Amino acid sequence: MKRMLLIARREYFAYARTVGFWLSMLALPALMLLGGMMPAMIKNASPTRTVAIVDFAGGQQAALTAALDARYVTAQAKAMREAAVSEAGEPGADAVREAVDRDGLEAGLAALKRVAPRAGAAYAPPKRDLRVVAAPPEVASAPTLAAAEKALRPHLTGGELSAVVLLERRDGELKARLWSERVSDEAVETAVRDALRDVIRRDRLIAAGLDPATATSLAELKPKLDVFSPKSAGGGEVSLRDRLPGVVGFVLGMLLWSSVISGASILMNSVMEEKSNRVLEVLMSSASTTEILGGKVLGVAMITATVLGVWFGLGAYALRMLLPGLADDLGSVLLDGGLIFYLALYLVGGYLMYAMVFAAIGAFCETPRDAQTLLGPVMIVLSVPIIVMQMAVRTPDLPLIKTMSMVPFFAPFLMSARAPSNPPLIEVVIALAGMAAVGALMVWLGGKAFRAGALSSGKFDWRGVFALMTGRG
Amino acid sequence: MDVALKLEGVSKRYGRFEAVKDLSFEVPRGSICGFLGPNGAGKTSTIRMILGLSPPSAGQITVLGGEGGNAVRDRIGFLPEERGLYRKMTPVDAIAFFAGLKGVPLGEGRKRAKKLLEAQGLGASMKKPMKALSKGMAQKVQLMAAIAHEPDLVILDEPFSGLDPVNQQGLEDVIRDLADRGTTVLFSTHVMQHAERLCRQVVLLARGEKVFEGTVEAARARAPRFLELEGALATDAVAGLPGVAAVEAAGDPAAGTATYRATLAPGAAPQEALKTAFARGLDVRRFEMKEPTLHDAFIVLTGGRA
Repeated sequence: MKRMLLIARREYFAYARTVGFWLSMLALPALMLLGGMMPAMIKNASPTRTVAIVDFAGGQQAALTAALDARYVTAQAKAMREAAVSEAGEPGADAVREAVDRDGLEAGLAALKRVAPRAGAAYAPPKRDLRVVAAPPEVASAPTLAAAEKALRPHLTGGELSAVVLLERRDGELKARLWSERVSDEAVETAVRDALRDVIRRDRLIAAGLDPATATSLAELKPKLDVFSPKSAGGGEVSLRDRLPGVVGFVLGMLLWSSVISGASILMNSVMEEKSNRVLEVLMSSASTTEILGGKVLGVAMITATVLGVWFGLGAYALRMLLPGLADDLGSVLLDGGLIFYLALYLVGGYLMYAMVFAAIGAFCETPRDAQTLLGPVMIVLSVPIIVMQMAVRTPDLPLIKTMSMVPFFAPFLMSARAPSNPPLIEVVIALAGMAAVGALMVWLGGKAFRAGALSSGKFDWRGVFALMTGRG
Repeated sequence: MDVALKLEGVSKRYGRFEAVKDLSFEVPRGSICGFLGPNGAGKTSTIRMILGLSPPSAGQITVLGGEGGNAVRDRIGFLPEERGLYRKMTPVDAIAFFAGLKGVPLGEGRKRAKKLLEAQGLGASMKKPMKALSKGMAQKVQLMAAIAHEPDLVILDEPFSGLDPVNQQGLEDVIRDLADRGTTVLFSTHVMQHAERLCRQVVLLARGEKVFEGTVEAARARAPRFLELEGALATDAVAGLPGVAAVEAAGDPAAGTATYRATLAPGAAPQEALKTAFARGLDVRRFEMKEPTLHDAFIVLTGGRA
């Protein structure tokens, strides 16, 4: 046991003391942080565009201005709802949205402060992406559309205006010509197109005989759809909390897969390095194969645990700080029915099975090229769970998924993906028992292969492997 | 006799190929034993069986009183033929790690490592990574790693290969020092000079079979002695001397003088050959009796089988 721990210790520090280890460990949180912050940073960095409207259609400027302003109200309503959801849950968030729709932004902010005091206090309205301003006099007073177009150019190239919308009526249709400061400013283009559609829709409804108030209410119609399921936590309405297990399952399945692959690969490279450095023979004269393999597997498992621990720790801290409600929900999903315990078992089982296979491969190889030959079939097996992972999350009860998730080599990943949907206990037991049996078999076979491979020399070939394994080489 | 290592009828087969055939020998405790043989003779296979790295196909191996090397792993030190250490480890850490695997606490292992490295003149390099050391330095470190736990039996597989003459001399000193302290040393080599200088006992292997076991002197006695003669001599005249079994000429007899290496028959007295040469009036200007070396014995005993 002492030898095993000593080998594990060496293995751990051999990686933990490298700059690459810390870089790769911190790369994911840094990327996630950057990925999370980037949209907000881009949005904040973008200037508020100034848009002027010149109306040659007659009486449409106010309607288009109102439609463009309404977009900002919608954006604020969405931001308030998103701010509320973590602290107040779906019902609280819906209440905030309804308050905005019913009584305006002030009422919405009051509702937000009431249902989610922390989020309400920290709420800052999103930056406005465009503002309607008065057109320059020479443009506004241009007698024709062509004259206006000639007059507006200096104002765009001089940076005074971001865009000018020229409204006209042709063939009885309201149409617009958009002059933009930049060739590719899709934000203004999209905003004007949406606002114009709202105006035209309202006009047509009025033309069809509806009164203006009805036409406006139809244009602003937002159907409220409540979703229910007997499998939801409350036995009725489906909330974000009910959908969270599926997301958690998928994320954990993928995380488990990447952890097993990276851990097993580290192990294989370590064994390969020791074999090519001729250290393996000395190690084998100092410790048993079980101690060497056990120590290496344990050392790399500690590396994986460190990485996962840091990721979970940072993730949990960030969630608690930024989205405390979601953090609580995630916590309850992980603790519900001992999910985290099962996940730990799947991680250990999966890692053990693949670690032994990868270690045995490493013992037969001295170069990555040698390893490629042997890794091919293993990678094909490993790619199967990735292909069906999403299906396992969406339809965890599908007979094909159920069957596949009990195949020991797929079980760690597919059962992790299915775990949050609470699969029947018998299936969990079968999967775990299968993993344990195959894990034990892999320990035995891997140990035998490791011993045979470690003492082999020369170029790798399948016949040689078989001969060594059967003691004839 | 107190025996550290005993092999009885040991064989090793890889499929149809028999690498070691019915090998038996003993190594007395506290002695230095040379395990000699040409490349491919089965030395490394035998060492691996002694260490317990691969099981014998037949026979029994007793190491330090235990059955096989696995039983007494902590009391054995091993330097493999193809050497290597963790490239990023420092010599101190590497020695302490391998000593740790043999049961020496890490702190104590580090102390011993520093002491050994200082003694070997590697004090200045003890904190450099292994990859920064020269090949000779790295080999010394690996030897230190093999003996830092103060083993009772040290097995060195071709320890002198790749070392320059100065380092070879240093390694010979280390081996003698180990034996002086009561450690049994078994080392394999195909360079006979080292065995000749270090060993009292040698075991010779050829094509997996033992061809000799005994003292260096006994091995030498199995090879013929030589009489070297120089002068204006004819090959036939030298070959006709009593006790001369064969003659090998060196130099050109037509030039007036030549050197002949006359192989003496087993048991033949060189004095008789010399006396006859002078009695016959042969023009002998220089003569020298040449005792056979272990190398000569090796050639004879292996029958030139590699």
